[in-house]
Amino acid sequence: MKQELEQLKQAFSQALEVIESSDALEALRIEYLGRKGKLTDLLKGLKDLSPDDRKEIGAFANEVKIDLEAQFARKQSELASLFAGKIAQEEWIDITAPGIEPEDGNLHLTTQSIEEIADIFTQLGFVRVRHPEVEWDWYAFESLNMPKDHAARDEWETFFIADGDKIMEGKKGKVVLTPHTTNGQVREIEKGQLPIRMMNINKCYRRQADVTHAPMFHQFEGLMIDKNVTIAQLKGVFDFFVKRFFGPDREVRLRPHHFRFTEPSFELDISCNLCGGIGKVDGKKCRMCKQGWLELGGAGMVHPNVIKAGGLDPEVYTGFAFGWGVERTFMMKSGMNIADIRILYKNDLRFLKQF
Amino acid sequence: MNILASYNWIKEYLKTTATPEEFSREMSLKSMSVESIEYLKEKFDKIVIGEVKELKAHPGADRLKIAITDIGGRDVEIVCGGQNLCSTMKVVVALPGSKVRWHGQGDLIELNETQVRGVTSYGMICAPSELGFEKVACQDGDIWDLSGLVEAKAGTAFIEAMNMDDVILDIEVTSNRVDSMSIIGLAREGGVVTDGVFSFEASPDIIPGLGKELSVTVEAQDLCPRYMAVVIDGIKVGPSPLWLQNKLLLSGHRPINNIVDITNYVLHEYSQPLHAFDYQNLEGRSIIVRRAKNGEKIAALDEKTYELTENQLVIADASRPVAVAGVMGGEMAGTHNNTTTIVFESATFNPVSVRRTSRALNLFSDSQLLFEKGLSTELAKLALKHAVELTLEIAGGQVASPVYDVKEQEYSPLEFSWDPQKTKEIMGVDLSNEEMKKILEKLGFVLARTDGKYKVTVPFWRDHDIEGEIDFTEEIARVYGYHNIPISLPNQEPPTMFGDQDLIWESRTKNVFSSQGYTEFYGYSFVSAHDLERYDLDPQDAVALFNPLSSDLTHMRTSLIPSVLKDIEANQGETPFGQVFELQRVYQKREDDLPKEETRLVFGVFGVKDAQTSYLRQKGMLMLWAKSVGLELKFERLEDDVYWHPTRSAFVMYKGRKVGTIGQVANQYQQAFKVERPVILVDIDFEVLVNDMKVKRHYDPIPEFPAIIRDVAVEVNKKLEFESIWSKLINMDQLLEEVSLKDVYQGDKIDLDKKSITLSLTIRSKEKTLSSDEADAVVEKISRVLVDQMGGQVR
Repeated sequence: MKQELEQLKQAFSQALEVIESSDALEALRIEYLGRKGKLTDLLKGLKDLSPDDRKEIGAFANEVKIDLEAQFARKQSELASLFAGKIAQEEWIDITAPGIEPEDGNLHLTTQSIEEIADIFTQLGFVRVRHPEVEWDWYAFESLNMPKDHAARDEWETFFIADGDKIMEGKKGKVVLTPHTTNGQVREIEKGQLPIRMMNINKCYRRQADVTHAPMFHQFEGLMIDKNVTIAQLKGVFDFFVKRFFGPDREVRLRPHHFRFTEPSFELDISCNLCGGIGKVDGKKCRMCKQGWLELGGAGMVHPNVIKAGGLDPEVYTGFAFGWGVERTFMMKSGMNIADIRILYKNDLRFLKQF
Repeated sequence: MNILASYNWIKEYLKTTATPEEFSREMSLKSMSVESIEYLKEKFDKIVIGEVKELKAHPGADRLKIAITDIGGRDVEIVCGGQNLCSTMKVVVALPGSKVRWHGQGDLIELNETQVRGVTSYGMICAPSELGFEKVACQDGDIWDLSGLVEAKAGTAFIEAMNMDDVILDIEVTSNRVDSMSIIGLAREGGVVTDGVFSFEASPDIIPGLGKELSVTVEAQDLCPRYMAVVIDGIKVGPSPLWLQNKLLLSGHRPINNIVDITNYVLHEYSQPLHAFDYQNLEGRSIIVRRAKNGEKIAALDEKTYELTENQLVIADASRPVAVAGVMGGEMAGTHNNTTTIVFESATFNPVSVRRTSRALNLFSDSQLLFEKGLSTELAKLALKHAVELTLEIAGGQVASPVYDVKEQEYSPLEFSWDPQKTKEIMGVDLSNEEMKKILEKLGFVLARTDGKYKVTVPFWRDHDIEGEIDFTEEIARVYGYHNIPISLPNQEPPTMFGDQDLIWESRTKNVFSSQGYTEFYGYSFVSAHDLERYDLDPQDAVALFNPLSSDLTHMRTSLIPSVLKDIEANQGETPFGQVFELQRVYQKREDDLPKEETRLVFGVFGVKDAQTSYLRQKGMLMLWAKSVGLELKFERLEDDVYWHPTRSAFVMYKGRKVGTIGQVANQYQQAFKVERPVILVDIDFEVLVNDMKVKRHYDPIPEFPAIIRDVAVEVNKKLEFESIWSKLINMDQLLEEVSLKDVYQGDKIDLDKKSITLSLTIRSKEKTLSSDEADAVVEKISRVLVDQMGGQVR
């Protein structure tokens, strides 16, 4: 009987060898290991053996059974992974075909720049406010220490609002489209909420249209009014902004300049990233900058006359202010050279959808 | 404004050991910004004087010649097309390795020995513009003829022959510091910032003469606070000596003749414009400074004729204007080659008058630029003395009249008091009084101590710029060096105020739209009257510009829609479909007040093919946005609004109030803007809604028991609106949680006036898990309502 068991085992192994489908495997299992299978059949003979033989053969038969089951299980998992591979081949997709993009949305470059600039100043406690674009002469010029006959107040530089065939005039002078965000200064001081750390980012208008000027553009105005405000603090705020906006390796410099509403007045320069602040690239003059520096914007200590115009005592309160063009700042950061700045506000989707 | 300044010229007034770089760096940091430094030695490297020995025809080109040119010790062949080229001519030769500007245009190009139509050319013979001297008088197609101008032998370096071993600085001068638009002014500043020694000695007083008297009258003294004039007789007009011509060339001026050159020389050195009249051409031998008569005309030196008005100041003789005061001289009384008697004018004109005259006439000049910044009356005299000294030296002749000097008033310098303590506080640096005082004194201020403070007298060259005590702080701080001031962040208490919350909601809104596939439009705030009219908006109701730049930007927007439609029109050719939004201000006119600036939101889609779907997409977007800003909006079918499609539009309602419109732009406006396919827009009054915008701060608990979803398909009247079905059904059964529209079908399988809708019912109990039977009962009930009350046929 032992011999028969050996033969059974051998026959099973041989049959298993050639099996290729799980159906055939299942049939084989039933044939050998099933309730009415060959093994069960064979073991029916056990009862005719002597107790000693029965014990020995019984143990052997058990080993054979375990062995067959193990072989079966091995074959089964072999077939399963073969099958999975086959299914996967049927489920093949082209992973190189172009992706299906969701409809692309875009924030305007100016919006993006405004957000980025504002975020940095927020960290220093500056809060965003909005002041009018259509403005009284008083806030746009007169209160800013700009004399009546200042060039900026001429009709060829600033847009005036019409009242019939005259310039509109009212309680605070003529009505203009503000040419700078500085109009927010006296308005902010007038609120009487001290101390002030304000940012006014808004549209400005000047009567100029060419490849480097759009008649509408944006300025960023920062104003700090408090006790004991110093030039050193203006430098600190500016340095903070430049390092975060343009990068930690950029240097800052203040240079003498002239504005009516600040005294002293500065031009804010940052070191050029193209030439590394040297002013030369490969022995040639750097095309980006002037002697290694790029002009970012203007700044200064708020003129006592402006503080006075807002109703504060310049003997008690001092402050600094700074302002620059949003579009220019963005272009300086990106190094993007926009051939004609007016494309920004033409709303050509072929341009807008690139950002 | 910028000035080209020769460093050699500056050093005539400034003793300094500073190199041009050091000078430029200190100036930029403490005074005027030096924008570029040009070493002429480098610029004109390998450029020499040549002498043409012989000209040969070029075998390959009729218009070219081969010039056998002596370049110092050897003769070379140079191919040249210069029309004035002839043998024995002294020329400028750019040798291989030098850099020139081809035909005076573009970037500098390094020359090589090259073949020109088959003939090897050893460098080139230059025209003035090819060396950067556009101002040298030279016919087009000619080369620079230096014969008779330079003594130097062939082979001499160009800069040596021309005595041009100099460094040219391009300096930006701020508009308040017209005194520094001069060599003397820059030398003075240079002395302060480089610790050099500035010295200036005025020319000797003019010794009055006799014989050619003049009548000088100033009628409009308000526009001319000082007018000086003097006559010089017996002069000889001719070319200036080379040194004078070269100085002018390097300063960007065009040498013309000795008299004109002297006026430009003094202008550049002193920043005082001068004018020379031909005495013989002044009718009545008189000069009258007066306002022009309306309609009076003058032919100016630029060969154009200008019509004047009574607001404009002229210099006139007995019968006509001979110059637009401070702006430009007239052709009639200018100096010519045969002029022998001249009148020098050195005057001070009202800066505003000069500026307005210049802008009104669109006429600009070096003089006008300086006058409109404001010059001191004291400068006029110094400049005149210098001009007379130079003239007698260069052009000969003698003074033949008294020195006429008509002044509004005697000069008295400005004085202000100054408290050094305040300067220290603003700078945030502890400087001693002595240090600060020294800075002011080097700049020419005179200080006298008065009980703890100082009385400061302002030098005449700063009398248009210094206006008060705070200006002294600026002078001290800049010379001390802004770069020397330490950097510190504000250490005061931060402010307690909040900013404008609107801006936060605007920013959030823009982010919602851009993240959902909408592109932001960002247009000009002004539109044309035509654009308003195309959208049937009355330009009379819009804020109008008094002085628009062009006819397409004349009125402030009262609605964003016309510009959005215009932008769609411009885009549709290249981009036939698009989803866009714009969130910007509009401007509503108000009587006797500034216009009201209000934020509006417009968004939508153009290039629409299926209006129902596109409408629902925009409505969906509106709902999504409203949710993000915590608003609950409702809709009402729109009636009687010409701007919108009558059956495809709705009013957007908030708390019972109309806050906007959603729908298809009415056909007539689509056509008015030549937009090819339908446009679905949403126009929202952001300004009103922003006050109620909020972040959601509560939540509904998650249901404890599962819902059963059942669909009901029913055929109903085509115009039966979902809203009315919903409101009918939603309260029919306590277990009915939501009714949503799953599908709509219209087509050949059902009647034309019917549609088949599939409703999806969400059935849920708050107390238990429902059985299938319980759900069936709800479906049954709903189906009955649909059939019995809404004319439906359940399928």
